Amino acid sequence: MVDSTHWQTVFLGDASCYSCTFELTSGSTAEIVANSPQFRRKSSTFVDAIHDLPEKAELAPAQLYSTESGRLFHSGRIVIITVGLPARGKTHISVALARYLRWLGVKTRIFHLGDYRRATIPFGEDMPDDYFFVNATASSVLLRQKIVRKCREDIYHFLNNEKGQIAIYDAVNPLASGRRSLAKEFAKHDIETLFIESWCDDERIIEENVRRVKISSPDYVGWNSEDAIKHYLARISSRIPQFQTMEEKDLNYIKMMNAGERLIVNNCSFGYLSNRIVFYLLNLHIKSRRTYFARAGVSVGADSYKADVSLSEQGEDYAKKMTECLLAHRELEKQALLDRGEPEPELRPLKVWTSTRRRTVETAQYLYENGYKVRQRSQMSQLKPGVCEKMSEKRIRQEYPDEVAKHELDPYHHRYPRAESYHDLAVRLEPIILELEREQNDLLIIAHESVLRVLYGYLMACNAADIPFLEFPRDEIIEIIPESYQNEAQRIHIPDLPESIVPDSPEDLKIPVPPSGMMSPIQGLGSPQSGLATPASGFRTPSGLRTPRELTQQHVEDVV
Amino acid sequence: MPTGSVIRSQQQHKVFVASSDDSKICVVMVGLPARGKSLIAGKAMRYLGWVGIPARVFNVGSYRRHNTPQPAATFFDPHNEEGERMRRVAAEAAMSDMLKWFQSGKGVVAILDATNSTKERRAWIYEKCRQADIETLFVESICDDEDLIMTNILEVKTTSPDYKGQDPEASAQDFRTRIRNYEKAYETIDDHEKHFTYVKLINVGSTVIINQIKDYLSSRLVYYIQNLHIKPRSIWLSRHGESEFNLTGRIGGDSNISERGERYARALPSLLQKSGVPPNTKSVIWTSTLKRTIQSARHLKAETGYEKLEWKALDELDSGVCDGLTYEQIAEKYPEDFAARDEDKYNYRYRGGESYRDVVIRLEPIIMELERSENVIIVTHQAVLRCIYSYFMNVPQEKSPWMEVPLHTLIKLTPRAYGTEEQRFKADIPAVSTWRGKGTSAKHQEFPKEGEPKEEGGSKEEGGGR
Repeated sequence: MVDSTHWQTVFLGDASCYSCTFELTSGSTAEIVANSPQFRRKSSTFVDAIHDLPEKAELAPAQLYSTESGRLFHSGRIVIITVGLPARGKTHISVALARYLRWLGVKTRIFHLGDYRRATIPFGEDMPDDYFFVNATASSVLLRQKIVRKCREDIYHFLNNEKGQIAIYDAVNPLASGRRSLAKEFAKHDIETLFIESWCDDERIIEENVRRVKISSPDYVGWNSEDAIKHYLARISSRIPQFQTMEEKDLNYIKMMNAGERLIVNNCSFGYLSNRIVFYLLNLHIKSRRTYFARAGVSVGADSYKADVSLSEQGEDYAKKMTECLLAHRELEKQALLDRGEPEPELRPLKVWTSTRRRTVETAQYLYENGYKVRQRSQMSQLKPGVCEKMSEKRIRQEYPDEVAKHELDPYHHRYPRAESYHDLAVRLEPIILELEREQNDLLIIAHESVLRVLYGYLMACNAADIPFLEFPRDEIIEIIPESYQNEAQRIHIPDLPESIVPDSPEDLKIPVPPSGMMSPIQGLGSPQSGLATPASGFRTPSGLRTPRELTQQHVEDVV
Repeated sequence: MPTGSVIRSQQQHKVFVASSDDSKICVVMVGLPARGKSLIAGKAMRYLGWVGIPARVFNVGSYRRHNTPQPAATFFDPHNEEGERMRRVAAEAAMSDMLKWFQSGKGVVAILDATNSTKERRAWIYEKCRQADIETLFVESICDDEDLIMTNILEVKTTSPDYKGQDPEASAQDFRTRIRNYEKAYETIDDHEKHFTYVKLINVGSTVIINQIKDYLSSRLVYYIQNLHIKPRSIWLSRHGESEFNLTGRIGGDSNISERGERYARALPSLLQKSGVPPNTKSVIWTSTLKRTIQSARHLKAETGYEKLEWKALDELDSGVCDGLTYEQIAEKYPEDFAARDEDKYNYRYRGGESYRDVVIRLEPIIMELERSENVIIVTHQAVLRCIYSYFMNVPQEKSPWMEVPLHTLIKLTPRAYGTEEQRFKADIPAVSTWRGKGTSAKHQEFPKEGEPKEEGGSKEEGGGR
């Protein structure tokens, strides 16, 4: 091992992005933020960063090319405007779409009008009852205008001064007249508009949405869930008495009906980008399901990429313990649902995806024997090691000093001779990403650490630069829980595993990335010491962060 | 350096693409004549075949034609019982062949190309497929733009086998009568069929309704179909100018272009002009991220002012451990590899590098972009160019890696309704040849003689009609 002190330095240099830091960033969004009871946070890799403002322009995880203007897909600046009553999954769609577009490299930011309202209306005060009424009082109209103006200014600022390409304006927008004037207003600034309506007449979908995201707020503590749903829906309809579904043939819109059962695309002037969005929406659903990530077990003998060998005895033992641990954890989750008062809670069925590499397939064998469906996905095979396969770090440094230097500058995009870069891997995983969105069942993914890094990077909106350094120690299963505002990750500790197989992966590339043993997994993913690997404690960030999340799920969203 | 381990089995890569879903899909075209159904069907088949998903078009018209080669319009009158019966027989024959094709295990996507204009017919197809455990995806094309319809009739239908050797004017007239007969009985897909998976394209995609998509492959197909357009345009393909590596016969690398390569780069703007760029159209230049293509397109960009994109996906096939070697050296150092590559060049993956199949997979986003773009001038590398060319010209996998694509030549492809027209423009600047024939010595071969006749205008005809 050469130069291990160097690695220490590299890691320490990066360490700040792993810990949760809060800071007020400059610019207009910050004003809102400063006025609101929440903070802006810098990315911690354990927290979904979809609402973060990237500090500097850099290539996105799966960006295929770059242009001078920074805009992609031959499109200009676009505002995507959501349309739909509360509890129709608008926020979920906005966030998912932003995640995908940013993954592709389109500079995208979401503007939840609700955040602006909360920043404007003093904390603790409620909004006026007639806030959404067509014939609202003068003071309510003024308030409405003030909130919308602020949001719109921020959108212009993002598109004009921050090289933004797509702003997602997340609001109810219930009236055709309002939507037309929005389109006109943006057109004046040479910005195209695309409306995405989430329309729903399936009571079950609406109720599930309300149950999931709306009634978890403090207002409904102690309520029976059926009553809470009724109360919530009644409140919506008294507050927003008028809603017109989109029929405006002169506007660009995508109408998503009953969570993707049907899509109507009215395309008057748009090209590729809207098709791409439709493709994504075709695979998106608004049902909540969990994703688990687990490593493959250790293998016998030669740790060669080409050999593709079977699991060792220890690897088999790991497969068994991982399976037991996961199934036990799911029982706990079911119990938790029951405790929350849900009648007859049923977990979604669990499916397993592995790569076609032997070790990952064999790691799934106990699940397969327990009747779970296992599917092999060839796209999920690990990062190709190229010529550095089986070389020690020392030898790589001796033989390819230039490559090592380049790698250190940009570990995400650099590829060793004939190897794949993380970027290559991300592009190759694109179909998997779409199928991941499509999957309705809970999903366990067993794959090489490099693949887990990239998939995790997508789900948690990690910076490309951080992805190669994400850590997945073998004694933990990572669980991603989707919430409409952001995803949450938690770790499930697999007990009783021998130390020797936990931190290091013998089959790993010996390329100069900080070896797994060097930084503790706790630091690696930025979770505070106290919360280490206790599944029950869940979201491992300082409690201050939980406040904004609950706030964003208040009852009524904004119109206009 | 390179480790001398065994060649990886190529077999395992064959599942790479088709693994996206286990389901079999029957794409059922729906729509009146002259709505571009056959165009969509043909392109979708070509696209699927190119990405490695076995697909086939079953054209009911060609079954019907077997018994009734040149029917009059009255044949298509829904009140003409004999005509109705004959068309039913043709549909049944097509269906039965399609089911046989699926049963043989070879098929993944079948495209049933016919008007399928009644609810009854669609219900019958749906039921037949359901029984055979095949998913159906209905693709309806609706168009009420009379000009568009007439253009389609004149361009395509009068060359249809149904009207072979007949007066074009009379043919067009007869065809319009035939359409009117279909219109009498035409039923669009509506809410009574909301349990079907379907896509409805109204006026070439200005409105699209997508219903009950259940799997990833269908969503991908819908995405592909949505990106198709029928605006006239061309695509130009060129390799980079001769590189320093070309001179020494080495493959791969990231070398600069040679002095002759530079001359080609300078000649490219006028060569493009000579080939004819349609006026008032949008053009864009694409290169790879390697120096030799960027250098080759430098003057083109400067003189035309077209927008330029650099694509990682357009980089040359990665030859792994053989990168930087000559074919002779490869044959010497890796004799088994060299032989294996000749055996199955499409699937052969260089040690630690890529196969042609791998290149096709990474080019898929490029094809999507190409479909939706207008004029595109692509400056790229031999293997990549072969793959893109094969997509447009429908070259089979076993042939595409062997195609000859000389340096310093601009290829212009112009998509037509049924196939692609090809023209080649040679810059009169000598260059080495990098082409190597199958089973030949590893030495570089002589540059083919100047002015040697090339196959030009390689457009192909396909029977439309029903």
